[in-house]
Amino acid sequence: QGPLGSAPVTSLLSLAVTSEQIEHLHRRFKQLSQDQLTIRKENFDSIPDLEFNPIRGKIVHAFFDKRNLRQESDGLADEINFEDFLTIMSYFRPIEMNMDEEQLDRFRKEKLKFLFHMYDSDHDGKITLQEYRNVVEELLSGNPHLEKESARSIADGAMMEAASICVGQMGPDQVYEGITFEDFLKMWQGIDIETKMHVRFLNVDTIAHCY
Amino acid sequence: MFLLLPFDNLVVNLLGISITVLFTLLLVFIIVPAIFGVSFGIRKVYMKTLLKIFQWATLRIERGAKEKNHPLYKPYVNGIIAKEPTSLEEEIKEIRRSGSGKALDTPEFELSDIFYFCRKGIETIMDDEVTKRFSAEELESWNLLSRTNYNFQYISLRLTVLWGLGVLIRYCFLLPLRIALAFTGISLLVTGTTVVGYLPNGRCKDFLSKHVHLMCYRICVRALTAIITYHDRENRPRNGGICVANHTSPIDVIILASDGYYAMVGQIHGGLMGVIQRAMVKACPHVWFERSEVKDRHLVARRLTEHVQDKSKLPILIFPEGTCINNTSVMMFKKGSFEIGATVYPVAIKYDPQFGDAFWNSSKYGMVTYLLRMMTSWAIVCSVWYLPPMTRQPEEDAVQFANRVKSAIARQGGLVDLLWDGGLKREKVKDAFKEEQQKLYSKMIVGSHEDRSRS
Repeated sequence: QGPLGSAPVTSLLSLAVTSEQIEHLHRRFKQLSQDQLTIRKENFDSIPDLEFNPIRGKIVHAFFDKRNLRQESDGLADEINFEDFLTIMSYFRPIEMNMDEEQLDRFRKEKLKFLFHMYDSDHDGKITLQEYRNVVEELLSGNPHLEKESARSIADGAMMEAASICVGQMGPDQVYEGITFEDFLKMWQGIDIETKMHVRFLNVDTIAHCY
Repeated sequence: MFLLLPFDNLVVNLLGISITVLFTLLLVFIIVPAIFGVSFGIRKVYMKTLLKIFQWATLRIERGAKEKNHPLYKPYVNGIIAKEPTSLEEEIKEIRRSGSGKALDTPEFELSDIFYFCRKGIETIMDDEVTKRFSAEELESWNLLSRTNYNFQYISLRLTVLWGLGVLIRYCFLLPLRIALAFTGISLLVTGTTVVGYLPNGRCKDFLSKHVHLMCYRICVRALTAIITYHDRENRPRNGGICVANHTSPIDVIILASDGYYAMVGQIHGGLMGVIQRAMVKACPHVWFERSEVKDRHLVARRLTEHVQDKSKLPILIFPEGTCINNTSVMMFKKGSFEIGATVYPVAIKYDPQFGDAFWNSSKYGMVTYLLRMMTSWAIVCSVWYLPPMTRQPEEDAVQFANRVKSAIARQGGLVDLLWDGGLKREKVKDAFKEEQQKLYSKMIVGSHEDRSRS
């Protein structure tokens, strides 16, 4: 019995990860879950390297975000199984040579959607000024010399720029509610993010394995 | 019953004769060379033979697996992710450049900056640098030890027979031989140093003490069938210096001390170790601390400084990592020994894992289990490089000096130079390190932002 148990293998193979890579990931999953069938948020505490990352909280949160797990409902899952783990990892697979325009576009939208969900923490489909500020503060956190005001003004400035791209000139009474996903896509037009947001597996050779 | 008597006598006689022969052989081929520091080269021949057998075994496995269409793969030691070796700054610049095409001299916060951290985060979730270092290094070919990370599975009759033969030789022939040698070595050390301790202080005592130590360590080296290659012996540590080396197992001490005369530093233990330690200190001044004194860093530093300043005293042997690492990398050196101000003689030790994994995973195995594993391996093959001495430059502090020494050792031994604290095996990340990356990033953003608001 393989690591996937009874999960339909076809749906996972559509993630275009090789079976060897799935084996690797499964071993990693078992290590993180300490041989249980599911992972909870606490399991990510056992990764020392992750402590460095300023947006650690958001990354871990992204694993449990039901919108990323392609589930119909909303909110946060308490625990995820290996299939969910692979689903999240699939957002980071690199572009393949044989993709056509439509596939590439879908690919890109998926990755951007993942990022959008990271910003949009209250799941209302908009990135508000407050949410933007949260992200900037988190990214700049850990620097004790940085005042909150600086982080805030950076966020405000960036948000204004986003507004100008999305809505153009605004009247003095107009309030910019927040960046919707369409606006988000607009901001990224012409920008090649697919090549930056992926993780590449090393080539593993195959010889003997006394297993 | 009467028929058994003459037979009984015969058996006893045979036993007596074989034991005598064995001990004579032991004496002639192992102990006497150890005393004089010469070698017949038996171990090198042994090593070459073993290598040939391993190659054959690996080929057999490959062939056997191909015939049976087993899914095979070779575990990749360096991890499964292709990590780009670029720094934070470069990557963020790259991301922004491919993005807005705005002038790069006004870097401010951009939406795309989150990519870098997001990707790094996912990479570490997939494959973590640190926890990899603490498990035994995985091998690329099979060395007929079923304990090496793979579970043994029946591939072919010949291979199984060979493996069985290997087990027999290792457990029934080599193990008792090694235990006998170890016993001889340790008892000679204890009695020798105690006897030498009674002599009055002087050149005679020093001479004898040195040779007793060396002899016993050499016997212990043979007890482990350690095949050691020393490089650059002209850089060996001198009196008044400190010898630092990377730490993989308690055997490191035996390996270094069999080629040079050092003063050891450590905590006094109870039991057999304590007996050995107390005997050793009678013959020459080693630096042993009581358990309570170990915590007091100033006391430790003071005693070490006193020792080092006395030029007649031996070089101190210290392992600054503080814990055993699995010999693929060098972790953070504790700065204590580098603050003393003596000349540092770095030594790099690299084990060849093909013959036996020397790494002591102290959370997995106790000392006795570990020693038994060592004594039932084929051999312990390692290389020792003596690096040229280093001293602390006026403009660097202890931590920078420690890192410089660490890089030199890592480079020579072909080990990865990691900034991580070896103590992570047991503790969690210190908060100071957490802020490192975040500070760097915020420096990039805020620095420019302040420039802009000022202009």
